[in-house]
Amino acid sequence: MPDILVVEDNPDNAELARRVLTARGFSVRHAPDAESGLQMALDQTPDLILLDLGLPDADGQTLVNWMRRLPTLAHTPIVACTAWPEETAQRMVAAYGCNGYIPKPINVARFADQIAGYLREGQP
Amino acid sequence: MSAAVPRAAASAPAQLVPASRFSIAQLTEAYNQTRVDYLVPMPMNAARLAEYIHSYDVDLEASVVAVDGDAILGLAMLGLRPGRSWITRLGVLPSARRHGLGWALMQGLLAGSDARGLTHNVLEVIKNNAPAYNLFVRCGFHAQSELLVLRRPPSPPPAPASGTVTWLADDAALALLAQRNDQPSWITENESLVRAGQVQAVTVHRPEGGQGWLVFQVQTFRGLPMLLTRLTLRTLTGQPAEVGAALLSCLYTRFPDLDTQAENVAVTDPHLPAFQALGFVEAFRRIEMHRTLGGG
Repeated sequence: MPDILVVEDNPDNAELARRVLTARGFSVRHAPDAESGLQMALDQTPDLILLDLGLPDADGQTLVNWMRRLPTLAHTPIVACTAWPEETAQRMVAAYGCNGYIPKPINVARFADQIAGYLREGQP
Repeated sequence: MSAAVPRAAASAPAQLVPASRFSIAQLTEAYNQTRVDYLVPMPMNAARLAEYIHSYDVDLEASVVAVDGDAILGLAMLGLRPGRSWITRLGVLPSARRHGLGWALMQGLLAGSDARGLTHNVLEVIKNNAPAYNLFVRCGFHAQSELLVLRRPPSPPPAPASGTVTWLADDAALALLAQRNDQPSWITENESLVRAGQVQAVTVHRPEGGQGWLVFQVQTFRGLPMLLTRLTLRTLTGQPAEVGAALLSCLYTRFPDLDTQAENVAVTDPHLPAFQALGFVEAFRRIEMHRTLGGG
């Protein structure tokens, strides 16, 4: 069962992601900020990190940078989730080494397929 | 201060009260709720908001919160510096919008600013946020400049800088700021850098000619250096694009592993080509707006 770590400060968004992904058979953990997200990722390396770029204690780019420095997380798929305009999101994702991004609000009908696609891409 | 929001302006019953009546935790929670559906929400935790209040001279007695009984409906904060004030963190809960609360919060802040004899008010609004921009125009503000928020992921510079390089810290770094000749935004003013602390600087004297300095701060995450921020460049002689590139190259030769955020770089800043050459990417833009008491 793939383990997805959702780092998202908005509880409604996190709950929606959890419902959709657990219905697909994924295991979901939730961290509400960068500090706990990093700790949870270190405690147990997830198969994929879904990362809100706007977090209350540090922004998502900073967290990606931190995670990519760590050998255990250097190659873990990180997918940004953001309401930024497409052009901005693509710039940031490319610059910071995320594997891709999913626009907010998520498309509930497509969301689990999008995550499954990134998981497949992330397999060695 | 406790002022009723006029009926004509607000159909929901609301009172404006000083933000100082609330804890930082309460203000943080309310602020995050007002931004929950923003394109760039920029949420904060209490520690971050406290640092923001300190660095930018936000006065909670002069800042206002719109309440309905015990419920916070919106808030707006006011920074105070000699002769001028700065409006920031304005927001209304999604469920309380379209009742004139944004206008009421603005009027509450401006009345407090005017009463203190502060003749100049400034604020920044994210570009293309038309509702907020239009509100500020109705409150007497006009667009003054366009500002960039830039990010640069960690990497070494394309080429190391040559020349004489000197690193400075604390008072020696702060002393350079007296030489500024730009017109910084509130958050990049010298007062902000001094209050935020932990200032460092690098000066460079290029062999081809040209000299300048770069003041910056290093923010930490989990107690370790993580983010370079509050970058302030000055070219003393030579071309700003070249001197700026040399300064930034020095910075990233020394800090190749650190992320960077450069806030409120004016689109007219002559160092902008240097930022672009060193790999900065644009996150979003702000419009700086001004209002002068008595017109002008």
